[in-house]
Amino acid sequence: MSGDEINPAAVAQAVEDVQGDDRWMSQHTRFVQECKDAEPEVLFIGDSMVQLMQQYEIWRELFSPLHALNFGIGGDTTCNVLWRLQNGELDNIRPKVTVVWVGTNNHEHSAEQVAGGILAIAQLLTSRLPKTKVVVLGLLARGDGPNPLREKNAAVNGFLRSWLPRLGQAQFLDVGAGFVHSDGTISTRDMFDFLHLTAAGYRAIAKPLSDLLLQILDETPEEKRASLV
Amino acid sequence: MSSEDSNPAATPTPGVDTQGDGRWMSLHNHFVSNSKDKEPDVLFVGDSLVQLLYQFEVWQDLFSPLHALNFGVGGDATQHVLWRLSNGELGHISPKVVVLWVGTNNHGHTAEQICGGIMAIVQLIKDKLPKAYTLVLGVLPRGKMPNPLRERNAQVNKLVQEAVSSLPHASLLNVDPGFVHSDGSISHQDLYDYLHLTPQGYQAVCQPLHAHLKGLLEKQAEN
Repeated sequence: MSGDEINPAAVAQAVEDVQGDDRWMSQHTRFVQECKDAEPEVLFIGDSMVQLMQQYEIWRELFSPLHALNFGIGGDTTCNVLWRLQNGELDNIRPKVTVVWVGTNNHEHSAEQVAGGILAIAQLLTSRLPKTKVVVLGLLARGDGPNPLREKNAAVNGFLRSWLPRLGQAQFLDVGAGFVHSDGTISTRDMFDFLHLTAAGYRAIAKPLSDLLLQILDETPEEKRASLV
Repeated sequence: MSSEDSNPAATPTPGVDTQGDGRWMSLHNHFVSNSKDKEPDVLFVGDSLVQLLYQFEVWQDLFSPLHALNFGVGGDATQHVLWRLSNGELGHISPKVVVLWVGTNNHGHTAEQICGGIMAIVQLIKDKLPKAYTLVLGVLPRGKMPNPLRERNAQVNKLVQEAVSSLPHASLLNVDPGFVHSDGSISHQDLYDYLHLTPQGYQAVCQPLHAHLKGLLEKQAEN
């Protein structure tokens, strides 16, 4: 990132209630409450790609057993996730791994800005939870055929690949392989609206992700509750 | 409503690609070409509540056996569904029943306008498929606690109920099993973001819907 310019994708911002039923704030409030009651080993945070995963069987099969919490909200940008993390969604929990999946909704920002916003989220997580490992999922391709958003998301992933390793506890995981066919199309069998994953689409990405999570959880020594301040 | 031009909810309007990947039109084209070799008895059309239904097991269990097609598009308001049905999505099929579920995304429109939009769709279906029956599903409550959108949606349902009461080819079915609790709250176990249904929420909605549909199909077969 050049100069002293502020990256707008790294500025925390709540979602304004324009529709009139305050659903974003209701979901955030519920997540803050969940932090009071739960002791998750894994925290998922991000946009609808995270949120929708919990509605499919795959969540109960692979991630509930890992004591995972799901703090996904549809439509969220990096700015919204930053705001939520700064306003209670990390209070009282000590997950060993945090999975971050956000960026595809940052329509006002450039690829570099989006990657910077994701990096800011990873930095916030490692500073608030010094012992957590952060796994950042790559942005998936989207749209029926080739289009500028695919190029943008791929560029975001490119920046993340080189920047994330500099944060010792963070790593990048690309789960997008195989979605774009040789003719450049994406199938509605994988993404029912060329953006959101079907059950089959989630099954494809969940395996490498859960393998990685199991590996990290295996490597992380158990903390005694008494030693937590 | 004097003319459809004065009601934006009843004026066919394609989705606009604001994001840059043309997904709305891709989906529409996909539905048009998808319908060319299918012979559905039931067509589901509407917004994300229709679209998401297709993703869960309840679709395979209850609606695939009825030979149903799903033309749901997330974010669609009445004017978008009107455009899609006017531009090819009814071109190659003759379903016996059309299940219409739309209206919750008509932001900025009044309940009267939304009702007008729904009735415009009902009329369009009658024009294009003279033998089909249109089952309009009531718009569900939304938001964690009472709010103006719940009132608007309830008013839409009331107005549509009145408008279809004199029509032999359409009716309104209330599919809300009682999502709003006595304290006015909606649970995330039913509507995971206080708008979209969980698989559990869909089960509660779809059991009575399925029974009603089967009854309608049997009646259509007798005619």
